[in-house]
Amino acid sequence: MIELMQVSKRFGDALAVDDVSLNIARGELCVLIGTSGCGKSTTLRMINRLIEHSAGEIHLEGQPVREFREEVLRRRIGYAIQSTGLFPHWTVARNIGLVPGLLKWPRARIRERVEELMALLGLEVAEFADKYPSQLSGGQAQRVGVARALAADPDILLMDEPFGALDPITRESLQDELIRLQARLNKTIVFVTHDMDEALRLADRLVVMNQGRIIQQGHPLELLRRPADGFVESLLGGEDRGLKEAALLPVSQRMVALDDAPPDEQQVAQHATLREALSIMLWRHTERLTVVDEAGRPVGQLYLAQLVGINGEASGRGHDRHHRAAG
Amino acid sequence: MNHTASTATRSSPCANGSAARRWLAPLAWLLLLTYACWGMPWLEPLFRLVEPDSRDVIYARADFFLLLGRHMLVVGVAALLAIGIGVAAAIAVTRPAGRDFLPMVSQLASMGQTFPPVAVLALAVPVLGFGTLPVIVALLLYGLLPIVRNTLAGLEGIDGGVAEAARGMGMTGGQRLLRVELPLAAPIILAGIRTSVTINIATAAIGSTVGASNLGDPIISGIVNGNIAYVLQGALLIGLLALSVDSLFARLQPASPQ
Repeated sequence: MIELMQVSKRFGDALAVDDVSLNIARGELCVLIGTSGCGKSTTLRMINRLIEHSAGEIHLEGQPVREFREEVLRRRIGYAIQSTGLFPHWTVARNIGLVPGLLKWPRARIRERVEELMALLGLEVAEFADKYPSQLSGGQAQRVGVARALAADPDILLMDEPFGALDPITRESLQDELIRLQARLNKTIVFVTHDMDEALRLADRLVVMNQGRIIQQGHPLELLRRPADGFVESLLGGEDRGLKEAALLPVSQRMVALDDAPPDEQQVAQHATLREALSIMLWRHTERLTVVDEAGRPVGQLYLAQLVGINGEASGRGHDRHHRAAG
Repeated sequence: MNHTASTATRSSPCANGSAARRWLAPLAWLLLLTYACWGMPWLEPLFRLVEPDSRDVIYARADFFLLLGRHMLVVGVAALLAIGIGVAAAIAVTRPAGRDFLPMVSQLASMGQTFPPVAVLALAVPVLGFGTLPVIVALLLYGLLPIVRNTLAGLEGIDGGVAEAARGMGMTGGQRLLRVELPLAAPIILAGIRTSVTINIATAAIGSTVGASNLGDPIISGIVNGNIAYVLQGALLIGLLALSVDSLFARLQPASPQ
């Protein structure tokens, strides 16, 4: 879907992006992560040509991005940024309808689409459609920003630290929202962040960048288990890696069938993560939890020994996102 | 700057109720100006106080309405030219292609204002002859700076995120200018025009020295003949005109960004 081939970007003497090759498949959520100034934003912005690459080639569905007219290319790609960039003199509805308007959709279709998107992102039409951006909270403004990026139903979405300026609670709820949206819309998303927890939560593929180069890329679990070097390891949280990995695995992966023992009073949902299960054990001073399904029926049990992988489960595979999409 | 723009936008939808009230001040000043032009002779006893010895105390060589009309015409033409040239120049040097000229244009505009209008008149008359034309040139140069400076400030002051989003969404340069940059910069540009026009209403009076008849006539004639009453009448009318126009702009300003 998006292919970067030996792409470099030079600003004067400085090499901001150095020989980056990246192939992002359709429907993939690819997170670029690294410290500030590592070239992740530059890489993102070269895809919609807000920055022109100096060397290499960038292809979109097999076609070089330079063959598109800039505006035509950008209208095909959704774009959301940290500061939202909503037009302060336009209402929420008009902001969301920006790209469809540029594409000359009929008025009625734009209105319909705007209302559909507002519903999708949990913005009450009657309450928000006629508000101005300055009247919104940070989280609401960012929802509008995401709605605007999705307005013309682009296949590709570029997101540059979209949740970076939000408080932790709002950020988490918008991350959930994005996971939910992605499960439903199946866009190809390139997401830039410097927040490792966010990256691990969202990514199908994690691309770690440093000094303009890609250091390592792969599934989050792969990187957690086999970091390429000390930099990746420290970025992944060093000693905290165990907890970060546990946060990516569902309880259902380690639970065992119920036995004759009476169900334990302490319960955990089967879609919860191992990290949550471990937290409950620590908090309740117990080594055993009863795993329940959505209806609260016991479906299995989880022992501390299995949770930490003593029974040879430590290298449990499973690139299963289901638990997250459903949560 | 964004703050100004957004508060202004927000205030406009709910302002319709007080629309009539918003026009009260400019209307009052205009009414007073008309009244002063028309009823100046009635103020004779008042002016007699400052000029007890002169034969005439009310300037009567030309109708005040005629002088007012000529004054407004000269200022208006100069303002339209200054707006056209100033805004266009500021837009041109904030485009990628013209960016190299930005320092030059802002310097030229500052120089235009440091150059005294009287000197411009003195230099322009030999070339353009006596009359209205050199006055328009002098006012144009003098009024350019506030317009150029404010247009530049308005366009450059647009939030970086907004500008980037406009580009990233696929708006063309023209669409960005007309739908985003100019509307957001409008309050600041308008403030510049307001300053420029108000200053030039006062400055235009010097035009009388080179034979452009306007509200400066009573002033110049008063100075030449030592008649303070004439000077006061000219100054009064020019002051009222400036206040009328200024309050008119004040009313226009908040509603502009939409």
